[in-house]
Amino acid sequence: MTNVKKVVTKVLIFLFITTIIIISVGPLLWVLFSSFKTNKEILSGSLGLPAVFSFKNYVDAMKIAPIPQFYGNSIIVAGVATILNVFLLSMAAYVIARFDWKGKNFFRMMFSVGLLIPGAALLLPLYQTMTTMHLHDTLSGLILVYIAFGLPTTIFVMSSYFMGIPKELEESAYLDGCGFFRTFRTIILPIAKPAMGTAAVLEFLLAWNEFQFALTLTSSNTKRTLPIALYYFKSQFASNYGAMFAATILVIIPSIIVYIALQEQVVSGLSAGAVKA
Amino acid sequence: MKIKKKWLVIFLLPATLIFAFVYAVPVAMLVTTSFTDWVVASDPHFNGIDNYIKLFTQDTQFLHATTNTLLWMLLQSTIHILIGVLVALILSRKKFYWKFTRTVYMFPNIISSAAIGMLFVMLLNPSFGIVNKGLEALGFQNLPNWFSNSSTAFFAVTITWLPFAATVTILVMAEMTSLDPAIMEAAKVDGATEFQTNIYIILPLMKNIIGTTTVLGATSMLQKLDILMMTTKGGPGDVTLNLPLYVYNTAFSAKQFGLANSIGVIMIVLGLVAVGLINRIYGIGKKDY
Repeated sequence: MTNVKKVVTKVLIFLFITTIIIISVGPLLWVLFSSFKTNKEILSGSLGLPAVFSFKNYVDAMKIAPIPQFYGNSIIVAGVATILNVFLLSMAAYVIARFDWKGKNFFRMMFSVGLLIPGAALLLPLYQTMTTMHLHDTLSGLILVYIAFGLPTTIFVMSSYFMGIPKELEESAYLDGCGFFRTFRTIILPIAKPAMGTAAVLEFLLAWNEFQFALTLTSSNTKRTLPIALYYFKSQFASNYGAMFAATILVIIPSIIVYIALQEQVVSGLSAGAVKA
Repeated sequence: MKIKKKWLVIFLLPATLIFAFVYAVPVAMLVTTSFTDWVVASDPHFNGIDNYIKLFTQDTQFLHATTNTLLWMLLQSTIHILIGVLVALILSRKKFYWKFTRTVYMFPNIISSAAIGMLFVMLLNPSFGIVNKGLEALGFQNLPNWFSNSSTAFFAVTITWLPFAATVTILVMAEMTSLDPAIMEAAKVDGATEFQTNIYIILPLMKNIIGTTTVLGATSMLQKLDILMMTTKGGPGDVTLNLPLYVYNTAFSAKQFGLANSIGVIMIVLGLVAVGLINRIYGIGKKDY
């Protein structure tokens, strides 16, 4: 009896995990293979590998939508947002984590408020704020918004790490005549590299993948980011399926590479981020 | 340690300015203009709680969007969490496949939602989508066009996010590593089966983190605009309309700015109520040590 039960449990677990793996990777592989197929092959609905691996769809995708332009914009936006987010917010996290001053708890609370505000509620007010500041339809505007969206997480990840660094380090640096900013830049930040890595990966993925604000805060092709390229395809070129598959792959690949390369940082970042929520 | 005023100001200033521009000012605008009749190309006039009354008494689209959003929040805080926790319990046995599974399960969560939307549009495409092809091979006939059929659209949209609970899995697994192995040993010595250990010992100890993931899951349903824009645009009719999409339509198509901002305020309140409610259910915040 117990043996039967054991076998049944094993089979159920096997089926469950297999299903999880299939729904996670299956669609991605299908899209990947299809991106090398001809439209005819795609429409016939064949499951297997393409007869010939052809990059024609990728060439088409680049022609239909200004994908290289969108790619460039995405790299600039995600890159600059990540660097500024980690550097500027580490400064705030540093003084919150390591010094005693009046109003510290107020600032700590204030910086986590962002977690409680659904982004979509801010679509219109941010659109108007950005327009007033002449930041609508600029990459700088998008960068500013993405830095802010990652603010609660970065401040939390960084300040938890700073709290664990022994105070003697700075004290001896000051005694040696090292200034406040130099101590921060040359002693504290290098020690906090692992936490900076975590914050950076999370911020990069956020900025690379974001859709709704990219859609509302930009309007010209020269300012749009990659996720919008897909929206483009969907609405205007819906019959070139091969190019649609290729465009999807082009959007997905960087996120997957960054995630696989820096998986541990993502995992520890998520765990750190959830504690505060 | 003490800090000089000068350095304090310099170090706090960038973060504070960013916070002010992206959160403080827009939220203040959101709340104040939600009590006005502001539409495009006109000045806002204070009209009290007229917008809110209108939304709750006359606006059937709003009511539809609200019910859908609430239903999605409910599904996400139950089934979604259950799937994530189940995967965590299985993977925590650290069988050979655990790391691979954890890695690939995360894929759908780290790629752009716009790409996920696109992916499902193609998977569920009636002429070449792999789902219908597969079902046909199994002998099913007259398969629907999932996203545009009013009886399947809600389901089709739901499966784009409901099963992908890798963040729940990761968080629960991280918390499980902090468990004292002696507890499991003791349970084993007392003759508890693995199932019993999971249900009576591990899950109760995971209460806080499960509560936290439930908060994250529920509130994420107040953000889902991208997938809807890529798939159904809220249709057919209002079948898959949710609050974020309704805000978007009201603000950018109908250009009813005051009204859109009232919906924004309602979303924030809804989020806060959900957080409070879930924290209460799971007893988060009460320290039990």
